[in-house]
Amino acid sequence: MSNHYIEVKNLKKYFQTPGGNLHAVDGVNFTIDKGKTIGIVGESGCGKSTTGRLMTMLLEPTEGEIFFDGKDITKLTPKEMVEYRKKIQIIFQDPFSSLNPRKTVFHSIAEPLEIHKVYATKAEKENRVYELMELVGLSDRFVNSYPHELDGGRRQRIGIARALALSPEFIVCDEPVSALDVSIQAQILNLLKKLQLQFGYTYMFITHDLSVVKHFSEEIMVMYLGQMVEKAPVKELFANPRHPYTQALLSAIPVPNLKKKKERILLQGEITSPINPRQECRFAARCSFATEQCRKEVPDITDLGGGHSVRCLRIHEI
Amino acid sequence: MQKKLLEIKDLTIKFHTDDGVVEAVNKVSLTVHEGETLGIVGETGAGKTTTALGIMGLVDCPPGRIEGGKIMLDDRDILQLDEDEFRKLRGKEISMIFQDPMTALNPVFTVVDQIAEVIANHQQLGEKEAEQKAIEMLELVRIPAERAYEYPHQFSGGMKQRVVIAIALACNPRLLIADEPTTALDVTIQAQVLELMKDLKTRSKTSMILITHDLGVVSEICDQVAIMYAGEIVESGSLEDIFENPLHPYTNGLFGSIPDIDKEVEFLSPIEGLVPDPSDLPKGCKFHPRCKYAQHLCSVEEPVFQEYSPGHYAKCFVYEGKLPAKEVKKYE
Ligand SMILES: Nc1ncnc2c1ncn2[C@@H]1O[C@H](COP(=O)(O)OP(=O)(O)O)[C@@H](O)[C@H]1O
Ligand SMILES: Nc1ncnc2c1ncn2[C@@H]1O[C@H](COP(=O)(O)OP(=O)(O)O)[C@@H](O)[C@H]1O
Ligand code: SF4
Ligand code: SF4
Ligand SMILES: [Mg+2]
Ligand SMILES: [Mg+2]
Repeated sequence: MSNHYIEVKNLKKYFQTPGGNLHAVDGVNFTIDKGKTIGIVGESGCGKSTTGRLMTMLLEPTEGEIFFDGKDITKLTPKEMVEYRKKIQIIFQDPFSSLNPRKTVFHSIAEPLEIHKVYATKAEKENRVYELMELVGLSDRFVNSYPHELDGGRRQRIGIARALALSPEFIVCDEPVSALDVSIQAQILNLLKKLQLQFGYTYMFITHDLSVVKHFSEEIMVMYLGQMVEKAPVKELFANPRHPYTQALLSAIPVPNLKKKKERILLQGEITSPINPRQECRFAARCSFATEQCRKEVPDITDLGGGHSVRCLRIHEI
Repeated sequence: MQKKLLEIKDLTIKFHTDDGVVEAVNKVSLTVHEGETLGIVGETGAGKTTTALGIMGLVDCPPGRIEGGKIMLDDRDILQLDEDEFRKLRGKEISMIFQDPMTALNPVFTVVDQIAEVIANHQQLGEKEAEQKAIEMLELVRIPAERAYEYPHQFSGGMKQRVVIAIALACNPRLLIADEPTTALDVTIQAQVLELMKDLKTRSKTSMILITHDLGVVSEICDQVAIMYAGEIVESGSLEDIFENPLHPYTNGLFGSIPDIDKEVEFLSPIEGLVPDPSDLPKGCKFHPRCKYAQHLCSVEEPVFQEYSPGHYAKCFVYEGKLPAKEVKKYE
């Protein structure tokens, strides 16, 4: 057994749809060490949220294993699962739709504590709610407010407080700042970072925005149509992207700096269908390096050493 | 200097709602020259869309009301136009693209029909000719002719937005207003749409107003930039002025908030606090509750929007020499 805190092996999730099997997540492998962050990046529909929900067991995998502290959580008994669920939490993109509109801030944050019967007395529970509000920077005066009375940044703080309530170890952050304005984004990113330093949380940080994840994670996995196409330590990925898709993604980010305008790789076409994908490289339709072979063969993963791996048939030529 | 196409002076728009008066746009002044692209940057609620709707004559009245100012297109104040004249102006001289392409598309017509209809309405052309022109427009936005007879739902988000751009450009408007046209798109698709807009800009010389919250997008295609906060323009200037020498504390705060892909930082430098409620704006400088440089003066008196170097304006007491700070620290 490896000594990684989290190890995911050949994780798959297929959804049955009228058109056939939708390969939302198709054989993903990664590890995360304790207290570290993995960034999961890719365009909408590439399977990021599905991966996150599989990690929290909100969804059952079609295939594969998820080891958490050496234990395969896909094989837990229901009783073990209750314990596991406390250790792992998720923060969603849209705090509005993940909060109950009829619950006040107090009740939203108290809910997980009540469900898991963490405290015997009301006073203890109240203390914890106020402590959590302080941790996430929510002023006491909002304790009786309803979600619709608050702005997006404060709602996201409630979402974070709820996730922290049960003192988790591992938190999936699914686009936690994508719906927020830039000045508020920075506040929330700093908060998540501070909490990690304070409590040693392990994060999976899901985003479509590479610049957000850059200063946040140790390692980045780029996904395309359900598959990992490239994985590397963060510095390596930015300095030396090797997969044609990663290269295009990096070059497409508009940088707010006039002195650093770069050559842009423009992709043709758009993401193809994830339903019954063909035996080919899933990026072939948009890749300027694609050859006949790329349309006949599913590329294997090439390990380039130093934790850098790439799924491309022509990795040694381009 | 090119000719002025649009000049907005002291535009003020309020919404009179049951919960109070929303001061959405407060004495906004902006200029767009021919062939130029102006970026309006600001966070949610800053008043960007309301400003654009003001130019289009599309502010919801009631509850909205234009309470002051002028919008000069050439030498005409378009705020004096009646509804009929405004309708003629829209599409022909000014068009607008919205963030959600479906607001402009009709799900029951093919894309070619929708563009042809706009063309037929504005340029006395026959059905066949309008259709031919519509197909040319689609090709211009890089949608192959063989997909012209499909319906909007058969198109991806990026393609729908390109159809909307084709519709907006169909009548060769002199001014195109694009309100967050790429915000809902993935970055690689955003790059395609931005490239297309850049290309159109150089080819057709259409003037544009690009509304966005993304300074990266601004740096790609704008010539002039206006920074909007709480219904006001707090700084404006050329692209170089704003990016190389930002003056206002809010502008600097925005730059500090963006995770920069080319830099190593552990923590970002966000602007503390929140955007004020436009139905309850602070007195004095509207940014003072969040400003690191604020002094007592800022909470009682309003700074003046002034020119500091040719074409570079800001609204802040630091630059009026009324505060101890001599300048605002540039973001790292
Ligand atoms: N419950 C579901 N049923 C069917 N398809 C789904 C379901 N959830 C997600 N999908 C599909 O799985 C793919 C991956 O979705 P998702 O994980 O949400 O992507 P991302 O978060 O990267 O945008 C998409 O094609 C999506 O439409
Ligand atoms: N029809 C309306 N009725 C009442 N308030 C409105 C209306 N439209 C916009 N507002 C308010 O005006 C302010 C500016 O909004 P908007 O122009 O949409 O900002 P932005 O586009 O910069 O996000 C906001 O506070 C918004 O809630
Ligand atoms: S395998 Fe071929 S199509 Fe796929 S990314 Fe590599 S070169 Fe491009
Ligand atoms: S006038 Fe005062 S509060 Fe306003 S931006 Fe300048 S220093 Fe800050
Ligand atoms: Mg998602
Ligand atoms: Mg808007």
